[in-house]
Amino acid sequence: MSDVFSTVSRRSLLKGATAVAGAAALGSFPLRQAKAEKFPSKSMRVAIPTGEGGGVDEAARAFTSVWTKKLGESFEYSYYPGASGQVGYEIFVKKLESDCHTLLFGNIGPEMIMYATQNPGYKFPDDYIYFASIDVDDSVIWVGKNSKFQTIQALVEEGKKRTVNFSTSRLPHPSSLGVLALAEATGAKFKLVPYGGGNAARSAAITGEVDACATFMSSSFKFVDQIKFLTVFAEKNRMPALTGNAPTVNAAFGTKIPALTGNRAWAIQSKAIKEYPERYEILKKTVKETFEDPAYRKEVEKGKTPWEFAEFADEAACTQSAQEIMAMAAKYKSLITATK
Amino acid sequence: MTFELLADVMLNSVSLWWLILLATTIGIIVGAVPGFAAHNTIIILLPFTLAVDVHMGMTFMVALYVATHMGGGIPAILLNIPGTGGAAATTLDGFPMAKKGMAQQALVCSFMGSTIGGFVTSVVALFTLPYLARIAYNLHSVEMVIIMLFGITLIAVIAAKDTLKGLIAGFLGLLIGAIGTDHIYSTPRGTFGFLELYDGIPIVPALIGLFAISEALVMIETESMLTESGRARMLKATWAETLEGIRMSVTRLWQITWTGMIGLFIGAIPGAGASIASFVAYQQSRMYSKTPELYGTGIPEGVLAPESANNGVGSGSLIPLLVIGIPGGSTAAVMMVVMHYHGVPLGQRLFVEDPGLAYGVFTTMIVSYIVMLFTIIPLTRYLSRVTLISTMILVPTIVCFTLVGAFAPRAYLFDMGLAMAFGILGFIARKTGFHVVGILIGVILGPMIEQYFLRAMRISDGDMTVFFTSPVGNVLWALLVFSLAAPMVFSRFRKGKAA
Repeated sequence: MSDVFSTVSRRSLLKGATAVAGAAALGSFPLRQAKAEKFPSKSMRVAIPTGEGGGVDEAARAFTSVWTKKLGESFEYSYYPGASGQVGYEIFVKKLESDCHTLLFGNIGPEMIMYATQNPGYKFPDDYIYFASIDVDDSVIWVGKNSKFQTIQALVEEGKKRTVNFSTSRLPHPSSLGVLALAEATGAKFKLVPYGGGNAARSAAITGEVDACATFMSSSFKFVDQIKFLTVFAEKNRMPALTGNAPTVNAAFGTKIPALTGNRAWAIQSKAIKEYPERYEILKKTVKETFEDPAYRKEVEKGKTPWEFAEFADEAACTQSAQEIMAMAAKYKSLITATK
Repeated sequence: MTFELLADVMLNSVSLWWLILLATTIGIIVGAVPGFAAHNTIIILLPFTLAVDVHMGMTFMVALYVATHMGGGIPAILLNIPGTGGAAATTLDGFPMAKKGMAQQALVCSFMGSTIGGFVTSVVALFTLPYLARIAYNLHSVEMVIIMLFGITLIAVIAAKDTLKGLIAGFLGLLIGAIGTDHIYSTPRGTFGFLELYDGIPIVPALIGLFAISEALVMIETESMLTESGRARMLKATWAETLEGIRMSVTRLWQITWTGMIGLFIGAIPGAGASIASFVAYQQSRMYSKTPELYGTGIPEGVLAPESANNGVGSGSLIPLLVIGIPGGSTAAVMMVVMHYHGVPLGQRLFVEDPGLAYGVFTTMIVSYIVMLFTIIPLTRYLSRVTLISTMILVPTIVCFTLVGAFAPRAYLFDMGLAMAFGILGFIARKTGFHVVGILIGVILGPMIEQYFLRAMRISDGDMTVFFTSPVGNVLWALLVFSLAAPMVFSRFRKGKAA
């Protein structure tokens, strides 16, 4: 035994050790590389540019309850309300990690109007893009169940005699633009009163503080027992049974007001796409799979939202709808901002 | 509601005592740590509440919610650090009681006020739900402006000791409260370009800075936070002090009840909250007291009123959610997410389709208050010993814990710096005789009153007379004037009688 040890010099021992370490390093390389490429490698983070408990929050949670199974990681939520959504986007673009583990879930309609009117410190689509929208929601006007205005015509007629007040979650909102466009087309005097959130805006109309509420259709169904739909800003009313067959605004007045919709959508920083294209591909693929999964439909319907609103749109379609809404916002900018 | 249904929901709540015990324990701890309010804790625990049966999930959330209101009073009394905005008014008399060596009595008063106030208002809410829901239909922006004025007049009470300094502190607070984007057009004001200030001054860092950090800076000047006589009294404290606290509370049952009702009514208004309720309750309690001059010196009434009111808010704030489907506050909004996730309808349909869940919210509260009363009261003797810890240990601990608390709600490092800035402001205010509560009232109520005022003005097309056109508003104006004038009239009457 001693002979064996005597033949092993210090130099040969070092050489052997180096060789073993080298082999071990080489052997573990593919494993480590594979581990580095695994995506997602940690929890996904979702930034919500509005408060907790709102329609966007609920829709995001319904979607991620299924998406989490496809990605194999859980989703954590952070809320950044303020300045009509601007705070959430600024933080998402400038302060949150851009490694594809952080996404934003917002509403293209209101938030692109905000972008077009508030001059925030980020650029679309240079700093972020929407890569998948999961529903289409139409703007509507409704009143409390016991309101004296039972038709949109009656409300407009009243607007010709006095100023009619509308609650809205925020001035930069498609339904707010709808109210302004209707006022312009009919000569009625309408005033928008922002309440800083959808729940507060709906409460104001239900409890009679204002004459009517301008909001989205799907989030109004929760209150279907307490409200009466008067009109829809769309080509056609996709939910006639649930809205008391409310007419579209163009059918009621012969106007040509374009459809005013919101699309709840997933957004990602452009920098993250550039740096991790393979991760972005995984997100795009799984988001589509999630939308098509029957389990997702079940989640949506469990939350009492009709499946008719669900509609998938990819990056190109999202960008197009964002640009369309920006163009319309520019037209009414002076009415929804403090700057004339 | 039938007797059978009531008995059924009550039995169901009692059978979940183990869950209520767990939730109330978490709630008390969470409420006692500044920055960790009910709503962000419930968000963290959402995976649990979404996974279990909706009745169980609601029981857990409701029990945790009411317990946080109670927990907020603990640091407010022991360390002059309100755990939540709703406990800010508790510091006014709670901390002076602790300094006098009466921490045990103050804590008992806080817990008794919270549990009895919460219990009574839960029972009232259970039987008068449809009527209380009507409050939301009658109190709008105009009326809310007047209710806010009830709270803001507390600045005048503080100013009574040194009018100029009190008013300067209040107006400084209102000015700071105006920072952030405006409520109509979202135009940034006074944000100095900081994005973190666009949504206004966050309450938690302001609370922590003005109270915790400034108090820590003052505390470090002495070895003990107690007065000499207070320390001697604390060292001799036994269970007798707990019993004295119970006696103090039981002899003021009527005060607990009516201040709790203030909380219940204010809580039933969507958007109002525990902060305004506790300030209004404290102000009203002082206004109708035979010894208003003793408020602020450390008396049980000054602890019972805000604590009872902020627990009354707990019952009230869930009424708009259940009856109209509109969450009254951020915690109710998170509860709404859970209810929607489980497909539970809200509004009138809830009472038809699942009345057990609707009424169960209030029976859960009743059971929670009973559970809390028996679990927390025996602990007061040990909790109150915190005041005996040397400031050498206490001060760095307070600063570290509260800075984490400042960071927690929004996860911005900026908020830690903001807490430090408010700490320096609070320290200067304390050293120069300006009341930090005056500043805080402005910071909390300023944005709220501005929001309601601007809405009322926009609805009325800029017509100021709108504030005098609503019958409910006019009654509130009369009550406000009466509550301001009554103490002077009563005082003259008493003096005249004595002469």
